[in-house]
Amino acid sequence: MESCSTLAIVLEVKEFGESDKIITFYSEDRGKLCGIAKGARRSLKRFVNKLELFSVLELLYTNSRSSSLVMIDQAELISSLPLLRQNYNRYVAAALIAESTLHWTREHDAEPALYELLAWSLNYLTDPRHPPSWGVILFLTRLYTLVGYDLQLDGCVQCGTLLPTLSPYHFYNSRQGFVCSACRRRLQSSVQDPAMPLATGTVKILQKAKILPLVKLNRLKFTQNAESEALILLHGYGKNLLQRDSHSWAFLAGYSKDHKG
Amino acid sequence: MDVVPPALARLIEDLHRLPGIGRKTATRLALHILRRPAAEARDLARDLVDLHGAIHLCRNCFAFSEKDPCVICGDPGRDPALVCVVEEPADLMAIEKTGAFKGQYHLLHGVLSPMDGIGPEEIRIGALLSRVKKGTVAEVLIATSSTVPGEATAAYLISRLQGMQVKVTRLACGIPMGMDIKYADDVTLARAIESRMDTGKP
Ligand SMILES: [Zn+2]
Ligand SMILES: [Zn+2]
Repeated sequence: MESCSTLAIVLEVKEFGESDKIITFYSEDRGKLCGIAKGARRSLKRFVNKLELFSVLELLYTNSRSSSLVMIDQAELISSLPLLRQNYNRYVAAALIAESTLHWTREHDAEPALYELLAWSLNYLTDPRHPPSWGVILFLTRLYTLVGYDLQLDGCVQCGTLLPTLSPYHFYNSRQGFVCSACRRRLQSSVQDPAMPLATGTVKILQKAKILPLVKLNRLKFTQNAESEALILLHGYGKNLLQRDSHSWAFLAGYSKDHKG
Repeated sequence: MDVVPPALARLIEDLHRLPGIGRKTATRLALHILRRPAAEARDLARDLVDLHGAIHLCRNCFAFSEKDPCVICGDPGRDPALVCVVEEPADLMAIEKTGAFKGQYHLLHGVLSPMDGIGPEEIRIGALLSRVKKGTVAEVLIATSSTVPGEATAAYLISRLQGMQVKVTRLACGIPMGMDIKYADDVTLARAIESRMDTGKP
């Protein structure tokens, strides 16, 4: 059996039986994996305090021939991001990021850029200057691109009319982008879902959030309007594509109750 | 698999739904029950039927109990001004086993877990806050687990109890008894230093 070592971020922890834990993690070189850690619930030195949500670990695991579960042999804690457990709102934002990663990825489908984004985003949330919801916006804007559902923010998805001419910006989840007013009239019957109007400022900052390198991303500052529009947009967009909702949205601080549904 | 008689298959399904019981174990348990005398199975069935009828939640601390208030809340020897907050009944039992705690409890019946749809309204946090608001509680000892959800729940409780006329304490976290400190992990060691104790000497 093949033994592997990888950097990994813990996305979900489930108790299993009397003394084991089942951990879902996002690894740097194999993407999402699910593994069992035998004896992890007893205070076994090799696991205690390590197999925790959002922890960054160096994992040693063995693939199993008979099951998709890998066997976690050893874990070294790289960082545990304490603020994500000491502040409820940051905990919720981190949970939403982890839950979205679980929903949008397949096992054994490596995407090193997503590992990097995930690590960056959780780290972003540990800075007390950053509102937790901004971390969610930055993460989701880029996640959708990485999983092949790029938010189309450059022009009308029907006729290609580019941004400044396109205004007002009406985003349609069913079209995964903007539809200009001329195309809307033409498509009348087939565009059924309500338009999500976006302010120019929101579109501009989301465009930046998509393309800036990670090292520059923490410079972005959202106005209250851009923050609230971006959250509604990213939530509705993901929910429409996946046809399922992430539970954590219901508890995100600063996100209007009207959209939680 | 229609070689399994339906009554046995149903029992296997029922047992399989219990936490930590795989299909193999469920089958083994079901066959065991079948091989034992019918009276034993009837006793088991009666105990299961009686369970929900006999046991309720204590309206003060939300522990499972046949009495209301429960044995602990009804005990005049226990200090009602000291309330220990735990996640679940098993945690209460573990603390009771030590004999070191003389106050009362408050059971949350869960931890804050956004991914599972569990927020403050889904566990017994509101009831704890109203218990404190009545003014009879002097100290709340938060004894949730030192897992991420347990700690986040503690953080949430601390923020909600802030400003109320009550002392809030947290179960100390540190080096396990009998452990050489050079084998402790960084997080545990750091927490042990933060929650260091005064030895009482100048
Ligand atoms: Zn158009
Ligand atoms: Zn009670």
